[in-house]
This record gives sequence, structure tokens and C-alpha cells, in this order.
Amino acid sequence: MPVSPKQARTLKHRSWVAFLVIPSIVFMSLFVVYPILSAFAYAFYDWQGLARGEFVGLKNFREVLFGATMAPVVWNAFLHNVYALIALMIVQNGGGFFLAWLLYKEPFGFRFHRVAVFVPVVLSTIIVGFLWKLFLNPNFGVINQALYSLGLDALAKPWLGDSSTALGALILANAWHFVGFPTLVYLAGMQRIPPEIIEAARLDGTSEWQLLKNIVWPLVAPSTTILFTLLFIGAFNWFEIPYVMVGLDGSPFGTTDVLGLVFYRTAFGNQSASIQNFGLGSALATLLFLFIVVFASMLTLWLRRREIQF
Amino acid sequence: MANVAIRDVRKSFGAVSIIKGVDVDIQDGEFVILVGPSGCGKSTLLRMIAGLEDITGGDIRIGSRIVNDVPPKDRDIAMVFQSYALYPHMTVAENMAFSLKLKGVSQAEQKKRVGDAAASLGLTPLLDRYPRQLSGGQRQRVAMGRAIVRDPQVFLFDEPLSNLDAKLRVQMRAEIKELHQRLKTTTIYVTHDQIEAMTMADKIVVMHDGIVEQIGAPLDLYDRPANRFVAGFIGSPAMNFLDGRLEEGGLVLPSGTVLPLDLRPSVPAGTKITLGIRPEHLQIAPAGTPGSIPATVSVIEPTGADTTLIVKAEGGNLTVVLRERCTLKAGEAVALRPVPQQAHLFDEQGKRIAFV
Repeated sequence: MPVSPKQARTLKHRSWVAFLVIPSIVFMSLFVVYPILSAFAYAFYDWQGLARGEFVGLKNFREVLFGATMAPVVWNAFLHNVYALIALMIVQNGGGFFLAWLLYKEPFGFRFHRVAVFVPVVLSTIIVGFLWKLFLNPNFGVINQALYSLGLDALAKPWLGDSSTALGALILANAWHFVGFPTLVYLAGMQRIPPEIIEAARLDGTSEWQLLKNIVWPLVAPSTTILFTLLFIGAFNWFEIPYVMVGLDGSPFGTTDVLGLVFYRTAFGNQSASIQNFGLGSALATLLFLFIVVFASMLTLWLRRREIQF
Repeated sequence: MANVAIRDVRKSFGAVSIIKGVDVDIQDGEFVILVGPSGCGKSTLLRMIAGLEDITGGDIRIGSRIVNDVPPKDRDIAMVFQSYALYPHMTVAENMAFSLKLKGVSQAEQKKRVGDAAASLGLTPLLDRYPRQLSGGQRQRVAMGRAIVRDPQVFLFDEPLSNLDAKLRVQMRAEIKELHQRLKTTTIYVTHDQIEAMTMADKIVVMHDGIVEQIGAPLDLYDRPANRFVAGFIGSPAMNFLDGRLEEGGLVLPSGTVLPLDLRPSVPAGTKITLGIRPEHLQIAPAGTPGSIPATVSVIEPTGADTTLIVKAEGGNLTVVLRERCTLKAGEAVALRPVPQQAHLFDEQGKRIAFV
């Protein structure tokens, strides 16, 4: 059957689309989708080291959630992830919001500060972790040295070695590392607000706090959606800073243990325990993935409802 | 309500001087319009009155108080912005009540004042809607309602009708004027549209390049413009200008055409002057009429109520407005005769020349 010019054009267009899309699909399937599905599948098998054993159904999942050995460690780590989420939401995202407001008002040297606040974000997490480990060193760290020089010797501590301060120190280091990101996202959000709206609010009689609470905060809702969702994902995937600063065991005594460390220890083992269990590790990773997908989606949907059009 | 006094007010951004010493007196209850082309400083002056811009020099007084260093919220003013500046996350009612809520006015009082303002502006059915659900005209009314509920001493309007279509602009013009007649609140209104200025103001302040060119009632400005800038800016279509030399017989154009003048100007013969004549004061005469300007009809624009002609004459195009229906055709030769009693004369610096 002869092909009409219109059909020929359509065919040519479709071939072109296929030419562009197929390589990406093949690449994604091979290097992203397949490994994720494999990891999911691993969770249903028994493992001896790198050797796959028999199919065990949901046994690994039960062990992760309710097993006498594994579950207390997992739930303890989960709780620390929740603490980190809450603390970072306040310190990192909240701090970013206020820093953005300061920069929005264009104080003296704001161009320098705008760059300065973002510099730690581009540093490697390994470097930041190591740097803060030095800052917090009980003997020669700059924090304790500063306290000594101010005569506040009583406040000096082995920050990373004390159960009551170790997790807080990690959270602080993380907030320092990443606070520039929410700052810039919020700043962009604030700059999207038509200036007349801020001026109208000032004429209406708002104080600085009322302006932030009643006008700016609701109008930067799209930035909040992005930042809260990313922080939620980041807080439950938290690994690098704890790994670099306190090691795989979440020392001292598991007070800084987080799910990322538990997964790594379980799947790949560590120096103190050479046991490797891909099955349990994969089960934990799968549960973590599902938890993040479900709750991050719910969070996003809830936050999107707050967003308004100008 | 209050009077507003602006005394030698100046504004500079770095080395650039935007407002170069402005003096304006606005009486209690007066509707004053600041008008001028883009960049003349009218919006900056309004923002200085609002407290949204610092004052580089001079004083602004609202009532008996100098407000130079008083924050915007304490000046007892309300402003309507060109973009309306409604809070997009608040309903119409919340937008209007926001300032009252901040002041700690009781819920019942808030509801009453918002209800009254909404009723007077026809906004009652829209109180629960969000700004994005409103048309441009409705948003403008909400912005006005938000100003009204505050019951301020002075209303400030910054080009409030610029974002509306032509028909709505005419309607809103009447509504704002009617609102002022009802509330009698001192109003300062900025526009670049001289029709808005002419139709709404008690007093017009014409600004140009950071200075005040003339202050006066609309028809005073129209009938006796102080200089060539005001003459050309006020009136639509704009005034025609013809350059020439003053001689005993009248104004002599470069081509030698003599246009007779009824009164004797207060400058000596031989002075270079410009004659300004409004389009409706140019009469059509048969071609070759003595004391008239030979011209050719270029464009005919019938508007129904009158007809605007663009004609080609010496010195460029001239505009003529005819009140009667026009039978002329494009390309037809005509003669234009300025009504001598309606002529305006300006010297080389553009200043108005008086008649003796």
C-alpha cells in the first residue's frame, strides 16, 4: 500500500523520537531499574557472604522489623533519623529561611555573603566531616579551645565521644554543610514575591515578624515543598557525615547510629563484625526505600496544597 | 483627612538626581493628580509620601506632622498599587481585614468595616474568593476596598488603572471619582495618562524631568499652559506647534505665510516664537484663503462624535479636530486657519508669552 506524504512525515517523526528516547531507556533500565529490582529480589533470599542461598520469602523483612538481634538496632537508628529530620528541619531549613530573609534585604556586603553561605555546600561531605571532626576534637579542637580561652572550661566536652552531644554535633556539622542550599532556594522564592506585596504589607502595618509569618512564609510555599521533601529524603538516607565523623558503629554506644550505617554494616560488614548479610541489608534498604517513597509523596502532596499562584 | 505639604523635596539615587526640589500644597479633601511622562519622578514622589522611599532633601508634612522619618505604617495613609498588590493567599475579606487585624480591631468591627466597604464597591458576593479568581476590575476594587477599610487620612494611587482595558478604565475612573466625592478623603493619584488627569482631578501637578512644570485646575492647564511642555502634554490630541517670527501683521512662518494675531504679544517684533494651537482651534478654509496655512489631508479618523484629520503642512504634520461630519478626502488640498483668540505663544525657551 502506498504511503501518503502525511504518513511518511509521521513515521519520520516517530523514528526520530525513538532514536532519542530508546538509548536513554536502555541505559536507565540497565544501570538503574535493574539494580534496584535486583536489590529488591536479594531481600527474599538467604545469603552466605556473597553466595546466594535459598528463597526465604519475607523472613529477612521480619528479622529487620521484629527480630531480637536486628530490630532493636534498626528502631534505635530510625529514631535517630527522626531526631535528625526534626532538628535539621528547624536548624537547616529554618536557619536557611532566616538567612535568606537577611540576604533578601540586601545588607552591606550581601553579594559576598550570598556566595559565602553557599561555599560549604560545594565542599565534599568527606572534607566537611573531617573538618568538623577536627573542630570538635576534645584536645586541640577549635570549639573547646575557644571555650577555654573564654574561661568556660566547664562547658568543654569530648563532643563526639559524649552520648548526650554526639548526635547533636553531627546534626550541627550537617546543617553547617548544607544551610546554603535552603538559603538560596528560599532567597529565590522571596525574590519571586512581587515587591509591591511586601510594600503593601508594610503600609498595612506589619512588624518584621508579622511580615515573615503572614506574608513571606506562605508565599514561599513552593520553596518549602522542595526543601522539606529533599530534607526528608536526605535525613533518612543520612550516611556520609556520621560515617566520616563517628564511624560505622554509630559511636558512642550506638547513640549516633542511623539507618544508613546499619544498612552498610549489615550488607557489607565492618571491621569489628565481619558478618555480611546481603539479604538483611537488602530487606532494610527496600523497607527504607518504600518508607521514603510513601512518606515523601504524602509530604509533597500535603505541601503542594499550601502553594498559591500569584 | 489631612492636608499634605511637600516642601523642596529632593531625591537622588547615588549621583543621579530624580526629584530636583518639588513644592506642592494639597488641601484637605482635595483630589490631586501627579501627571507626567515615564521617568519624570511622579511615582518616586508618591512613594516618598508613602514612606517607601527615603527623602534626600526637603520635608513632607501630612496634617501637622513632618513625616520624613515616620515609617509607612505610622503615616496613616493607604496606597493602591498599579499591580493591585493583593495578598494571593488570602481571600478578598482577609485582604481587606488584614490591616485591621494587625491593629487589633475586634472581629465584629472588622466584619462590619469590611462588609460596609465591600457593599459600597459591589464586592459582597466576592468576599470568599481568592484574588486569582477575580477579574482585573474586581481586583482593583478589592485594592480600593483594602484602602477604604483603614479610613486613612490620605489615599495614594499609583497608576491604578494602567493594567485595565480601555472600557474598564473609563468605568473605574468614574468609580474612583465617585468614591472620592463620597468619602472626601485627601487623594494623591499618579498617572501618565493626561485624560485620567483631566477628568478626575481637582488639581493637576504636571511633572517633567524631576521638577514641577505647572500646578493648576485641569481647565486652567488646558487653557493657559505655562510652557510648551505642558501645552504639548495636556490635551488629546496634542497641541500643534508652528515656529515663526513675530512681526507687526502677526506670526510669519518660514514660507512667508502670515497668520494674524488678535492681541499684541508682550515681546518685540522680530522675536522668534512658537505658536501653539489646539486641534479643535484650527479651522478648515478653502484652499488659498489669505492668512491660512496651505495643507493636504493625509489621514481621516472619524470617531463618531468628531473627526480627527492629520494634515501635511509646512513644518510637518498638524492635527485638526472637527466637531461636524467631514466630507473631505485624503489627498485633498485645504487651508488651515488658527482661531486667533485661542492661540498660545511660547518663546524660544518654551515659556508662555503673555499678551498685552
